Amino acid sequence: MTDNKFTRRTVLKTGAAVMASLATPSVVLAQTAILNITTWGGKWGDVMKNEVLPAFEKEFKCSVRADQAFPFLPKLQASPRNAPIYDVLHANSNEQWKALEEGIVSPKLDVKDVPNLKDVYPYAVSDKIVGVSIFTSAVGLGYRTDKGITKPTSWKDLADPKFAGQRGGYLIPVNGLGQAHLMMLGKLYGSGFTDLDAAYKALETLKPIKLFDFTGQMEKALLSAEVNIGIIHDSGIYRYEDKEPIEFAVPSEGVLALEQVLSVTPGSKVKELAHAYIDFMLRPDIQKKLSEAVWYSPSNTKVDLDPRFDAKLFNTPEKVSQLVQMDWKWYNEHKDEIDLRVARILRG
Amino acid sequence: MRRRKYNLGNAIYFTMNGAILAFLLAPIAIITVFALNSAPYISFPPTGFTLGWFSKFFSSPEFMNAFALSLQVAAAVLILSMLIGGLCALALARGNLPGNRVLTAFFMSPLMLPAILTGLALFQIYLLMGIGRPIWGLIMGHTLVAVPYVLRTTLAVLHNFDRKIEEAAAIHGAPPARVFFEITLPLIRPGVLAGGIFAFIVSFDQFPISLFLVAPGGETLPVVLFNYMKFDLDGAIAAASMVSILMAIAVVVLLEKVIGLKAYVKL
Repeated sequence: MTDNKFTRRTVLKTGAAVMASLATPSVVLAQTAILNITTWGGKWGDVMKNEVLPAFEKEFKCSVRADQAFPFLPKLQASPRNAPIYDVLHANSNEQWKALEEGIVSPKLDVKDVPNLKDVYPYAVSDKIVGVSIFTSAVGLGYRTDKGITKPTSWKDLADPKFAGQRGGYLIPVNGLGQAHLMMLGKLYGSGFTDLDAAYKALETLKPIKLFDFTGQMEKALLSAEVNIGIIHDSGIYRYEDKEPIEFAVPSEGVLALEQVLSVTPGSKVKELAHAYIDFMLRPDIQKKLSEAVWYSPSNTKVDLDPRFDAKLFNTPEKVSQLVQMDWKWYNEHKDEIDLRVARILRG
Repeated sequence: MRRRKYNLGNAIYFTMNGAILAFLLAPIAIITVFALNSAPYISFPPTGFTLGWFSKFFSSPEFMNAFALSLQVAAAVLILSMLIGGLCALALARGNLPGNRVLTAFFMSPLMLPAILTGLALFQIYLLMGIGRPIWGLIMGHTLVAVPYVLRTTLAVLHNFDRKIEEAAAIHGAPPARVFFEITLPLIRPGVLAGGIFAFIVSFDQFPISLFLVAPGGETLPVVLFNYMKFDLDGAIAAASMVSILMAIAVVVLLEKVIGLKAYVKL
């Protein structure tokens, strides 16, 4: 036996100390309304936490609890409908449609509740959108400029045999960009976005292809030349601002819209505050701040971006006309069969 | 001196051991390379040397808060799982309970369920009960999957326990409480501590359960790392992993110094 002490007293003392430190009460904001939202991490999360949310809290005398920990949708699904865990859901369109189908978010917003809706581009409140798209990224082709690659002009360039094994895509079952690209393949090689047979056939021709879960992984794969060309959103390339040998190409068939969508949960107890938050996020000054921080295209038509952002982002009627919005309601209805089929194609 | 003869069996034995060691250590070696690589993204081979990712990790309030919270939660889980797991093991080994084997399987069952489902189920229960996502709820979730480690290691010790020592103490007049604290507890200590260390590490690295149970602004390190990876895949992730590995080693060394772990060899 050793001389070391491991007695009841030491156990109880240590336990009490740890529990006491954890049980220290946090400041209880008694009378203060609390708004529960979801939000992204990374640079977006930094700007939100340090600037945007404090400004909103100050102006509306409330407290915002911003959840950055994925996955948002299963948490919302698991919470009671009459007391949802979130008041405002920030998600991409594919997830918003899933949430709408389950009745856990409201389909549309009213300009009476969110006055800044009157100033957004039509795509931001189109029939392809649940709630409102506060920003969008343009999904096109990212490529390396130091590998002798001619700037791609069409989505079809991705299938060029010279990119075999050097092209990058996404795991379609888990990534919205991959799903949108699959629908684009249907349009490019078949009768339309819902022509799955044509899309599957085209997907075969992209093999061998490196597949990623997240856009962040695609970014790094392009930076490290693990892939020389890949499907990516413009913000994932522009954020490097010519410091790295990568560039973004807008295919002639249009860019896929990767919308940042906000919607309100029907069971929210602070709907007025939720609407105020969405309106706040659509204000020109907030839109400008976030656009220029993360290279997202603003939805509000009245945003004046600095020239270097203005030159690249989709912030004019002409530019936004290049955005292709997908029918996520249709996609979600077919998702299971699509997942099975693409898994077979990409595994084989 | 006689030259050792070439022995095929020995060669295979050492090769296999070397291969297993390499397999176990390779991830740590790769993480070390990523953590010290100066490239602004995770890549191989390395392009230079930097300690900048460690600096980024230690200077980030988000990482540091998550690191501190993970340590606190793991410490609480260590204590709770030793207490619950140790007492359960005693009851199962000594209590002559009906359906002992079924009960043991029941207590071990959290290890058999996918942790992500356990996390989701707890999350739903907490919300239905109106509890929300407090830190103690997270600790309870971690403890649920950590207890079986303590239970198993303590049962292993109790299996070889010579009860005559306790009987001798009782015959000489020691009351049951004294027998427990002066005989039983010191003898089962290696099993309880070994399980406790597993519990600490399981909690510190716990991701699937934490994913659902962490509250906004109160994320543990694995959750913060996962979210970070979705937007920034750089060496800070590798630096954080290195710190976690070093921390796990430090915990074992500290426990060895403070409490003494030599008795583990008996397990």
